Amino acid sequence: MSGSKKDPFFVGYLSVPEGLKLFLIATVALLLGCFAALALTIGGTQDDPGDGAFRFDWGRQTLIGILEASPYPIVHVTKGTKRIPTGSTVLLSGNGKRGVQSRTTPLDGELVEISGVAIKRGNIEMLQLRGGRNGIKKVAGSVQMPSSKLLGRWRLSGEICDGKCFTGTMRPGRRLSHKACANLCLINGAPPIFVSSAPVNGTRFFLLVNSEGEALDNKFFHHVAQFISLEGTVEKRGNLHLLKADLSSLKRVP
Amino acid sequence: MSVKYTPVQWNANKYGYDLVLIGMVVLYILSFLNVAPMFLDHARPTDGPIVRARAFGTCAFLLLTIILCIGPLARLDARFLPLLYNRRHFGVLTSVIALSHAMFVMDWYFNFAPQSKLEGLLGANTSYGQVLGFPFEVLGLAGLICLGILAATSHDFWLNFLTPRLWKALHFLIYPAFAAVVGHIALGSLQSQDNSIFAIVVGLSTALVCGLHALAAWKERGCDKRGNADAGWIIVGDAGDIEEGRAKIIKLPNGDRVAVFRHKARLSAIANACAHQNGPLGEGRIVDGCVTCPWHGFQYRVADGRSPAPFTEMVPTYRLKLDQTTVLVDPNANEPGMFVEPTALPEHMQ
Repeated sequence: MSGSKKDPFFVGYLSVPEGLKLFLIATVALLLGCFAALALTIGGTQDDPGDGAFRFDWGRQTLIGILEASPYPIVHVTKGTKRIPTGSTVLLSGNGKRGVQSRTTPLDGELVEISGVAIKRGNIEMLQLRGGRNGIKKVAGSVQMPSSKLLGRWRLSGEICDGKCFTGTMRPGRRLSHKACANLCLINGAPPIFVSSAPVNGTRFFLLVNSEGEALDNKFFHHVAQFISLEGTVEKRGNLHLLKADLSSLKRVP
Repeated sequence: MSVKYTPVQWNANKYGYDLVLIGMVVLYILSFLNVAPMFLDHARPTDGPIVRARAFGTCAFLLLTIILCIGPLARLDARFLPLLYNRRHFGVLTSVIALSHAMFVMDWYFNFAPQSKLEGLLGANTSYGQVLGFPFEVLGLAGLICLGILAATSHDFWLNFLTPRLWKALHFLIYPAFAAVVGHIALGSLQSQDNSIFAIVVGLSTALVCGLHALAAWKERGCDKRGNADAGWIIVGDAGDIEEGRAKIIKLPNGDRVAVFRHKARLSAIANACAHQNGPLGEGRIVDGCVTCPWHGFQYRVADGRSPAPFTEMVPTYRLKLDQTTVLVDPNANEPGMFVEPTALPEHMQ
């Protein structure tokens, strides 16, 4: 111990001076109290991640429907389940951050049986397929592709998300802190979803394609997870809405 | 002080210090993960790995904020010096917590892809030309690398190997690290939350760090008296102004600082910078006849600037003279460890 009680001097390898003990106890208590309070304040004010989720509770879903492989693989369900009824349109994905284009392209336009676990957020549904032919295979029969319905030209404000994480694989699976993850999903073939701040024809979720109706090119990736506005044609295919967006119309919304 | 390297020279204060540190971290993480969810205004759970990444990330940021506040706080009020004593353990723990945050992020956001996690981290978002959407992860990585370098070189072995001057310069990396972490948070987490609580915490923390540094610099500038020259000697001031066992610090024309100590009615001058980490010796005291550094307790004999045996540290000494009661110092430093006969005070001042 060193220094007087009125003017204490701390030396690390000696005992703490009497005149400093109370001050140090108060400092330690303040630090512990602040840390606990900050943990509760920051941890207790996390945003709602939304209602998207893997629906493991539904069990394995096996559906039959007509496959539309391009621009992103979707299936118009002709024989559904209690959870995913006939008439639904589901997006398809592989395990993790993987698309299923290599398996779906040869089956474009065919009647297929798909099997996997459902992911659902609002009115958008995805099936994460099982591996190989267990996940998707051609079945006998023929069904006509549902017709498309044009819903006019719109300018929509919102955010480009990856359909896998946003639908419920990650909670939350959107906004800028998730941008790199979303880009990684999109690079690997996950379908992009435009999440509009206002509904069109009752939905806020649109499968995003370019103005030619093809898969997005990499230029769009710079704008993923930001609040933007886009102009394009909205089209309804089966139960799914598409936004055929013109990249040149893209504006950043402050 | 040690004549050989040991991993940690434990003592009761270091045990106490580390116990408090670990207590802070455990309390924070447990409260964040287990208690805070009860206060949420929604029932839908955020993914566990994301919550853990947030808990460890915010904890690392708060620890880094405190680390950066300790220095200026100790300059402003010497009662905070005990917090500075074991700050290196604080830094090592912070880098471990930051690394845990990074691992939770890598194992979640950059996992499950055909690419490697590192490839995903560095290659998925290349929007370097924009502010919003900037790949903020690289800022976090930069901060983590800085913290890792600081933690890896925190031991006294590196201090001696690199020399205190280079080591000190290297450890200024803490400032770029803090800037990178603030940028990482501002362009990532803060852009992704509707709730502004964490934005307020980050803003206040940054203001606190900047404000305390500005205050400490202002105070130091005010105290930093540059001595006037008198025929080549520099005027320190009146001998009566120097308290027994303490020093007066004066800045020489070449920018070096000298600490003039009064011990048993005699005056001696040594360099103000401790040979260990350049701590301000002049803010220390004379304990057991030796000048004792306020930062880590390194000691030097006041007349020759040498650490008592078996220690080998040395600091330069300076010659002093008295003109009546005015103390003057020769600005030319002696070799470190060179004995200078202490200057006796006039009888009426003893």
